[in-house]
Amino acid sequence: MDGLDVESICKSFRTSHGTLPVIDRISFSQSQGEVVCIVGASGSGKTTLLRILAGLEKPDSGSLRLAGHPVEGPGPERAMIFQQFGLMPWLTVLENVLFGLAPGGLSEEEKLARARDAIERVHLGGFENYHPKALSGGMQQRVGIARALAVRPRLLLCDEPFAAVDAITRQLMQTDLLNIVTQQKSTVLLVTHDIEEALFLGDRVLVFSSRPARLLRDVKVDIPKPRSHEVRVTPEFQAMRGMVWDILQANQ
Amino acid sequence: MSMPEEPALAGDPSAKPSDSRRGTRLVSIALLVVILVAWEVAGRNKLINPFFLSWPSAIGDEAWKMLISGELAANLWITGYAYLIGVVLACAFGSILGLAMGWWRTFGAIIDPYVVFFSAMPRVALFPVLLMIFGIGDVSRILIVFIGVVTPIIFNAYVGAKQTPQLLVDAARVFGYGSRQLFRVVVLPAALPYLIAGVRTGVTLGMIMIVVAEFFGASSGLGQKIAVTAQLYQTPQMYAWVLYTSLVALVLVRGADYFERWAMRWT
Repeated sequence: MDGLDVESICKSFRTSHGTLPVIDRISFSQSQGEVVCIVGASGSGKTTLLRILAGLEKPDSGSLRLAGHPVEGPGPERAMIFQQFGLMPWLTVLENVLFGLAPGGLSEEEKLARARDAIERVHLGGFENYHPKALSGGMQQRVGIARALAVRPRLLLCDEPFAAVDAITRQLMQTDLLNIVTQQKSTVLLVTHDIEEALFLGDRVLVFSSRPARLLRDVKVDIPKPRSHEVRVTPEFQAMRGMVWDILQANQ
Repeated sequence: MSMPEEPALAGDPSAKPSDSRRGTRLVSIALLVVILVAWEVAGRNKLINPFFLSWPSAIGDEAWKMLISGELAANLWITGYAYLIGVVLACAFGSILGLAMGWWRTFGAIIDPYVVFFSAMPRVALFPVLLMIFGIGDVSRILIVFIGVVTPIIFNAYVGAKQTPQLLVDAARVFGYGSRQLFRVVVLPAALPYLIAGVRTGVTLGMIMIVVAEFFGASSGLGQKIAVTAQLYQTPQMYAWVLYTSLVALVLVRGADYFERWAMRWT
């Protein structure tokens, strides 16, 4: 198996009021090159699942395999895009993209070539020497995307990547991200609370219940790629949107 | 066509603020001249007790003599190197201890009450103790600067390391940095603004500490000169030393300002 296998992951947090279960036996698999979006209410444990996959948290039970290898701790075959960007404010755009490559065993020329290529892909050519503070939220997230792309990960994890940017920028960036990941045939796991975003970007949409997160439905999105944003107004798209909405509502 | 006009357009609006700034500067200088002249007149005519205030030209004379005789340079050097060693040691030790306290939370929690106690204590209270142990000399002077400067440095570094955003730590971990590298690539740069603010405080505080230290336990140095000339009622000399001490402090504070701006140029 080339892709990702998630098998009955459970996770709970200990609080002063006792244990709080956040993930309840989540299982799914994802093949190489597939874009899977997880949609669910805020605070449903989606982000925790992503953090487990990134190696930032350990599950209480269950197993994770990427291309057959168990996932234990962070690794260069996975990269993450953060909701609040997570850029180092003291580094320039170029340095931030290089930051993601630094621990790897690449030569300096190779790192620089990859960083410049990733910056071009997110249309930030010319901004290499800017510090994040000088950029808009949307541009900062483009840096975050470039940093993740430069690693050329087997699995790209995205945690509500467009939640912190304005609505117009969000649509443009969704289209851009879709084009990039389609070109690169990247395997993407994206968490969002925006049903439209999930349907627009995903080959499949996993609908999660609110806390503790359980997998309610695995929806296949039968819209051919590349997709342009006009697809959002088609009846098929709206029907799927209504269906996901109904599943989420029935669960509330 | 529009090319020749542009410099004029660009030059015009910038001319106004610089004009008014020059005006303010002129008034400041004029005010200084008025004060100096009034002081000079009052001093020479014994309108004020010359023992307490002297007058500008007498002070200027003494200041000039100190400068050309090399007395200033000699004392500046004595005070300067003790100050510098004390401040550098305090910055290095305080930064390392504070960062370590912020990074290893348990260690920080254990040490924290001691640092709080030490910083709350009026550290001048330790002068007699240090003089008793180390005698009058460089070791005492350096240690006095050190204990004065080290606490704000520790606190700033501690807070700086503690406030390192978890998001940045997570981002670094995702991209494969181990816990040893995390300190260098995230914690240290994230704490840098705090460290620099600590150094800034230390630079000014260190100057106060060394001058006060030299009042009590030194055979030369700027502070010792102020204390001795005051005891001998050599009022103009005393003011000349106060003037030089203030100028040195001014240079240090401005220097620290420029250093801070340079180090924080990415914000």
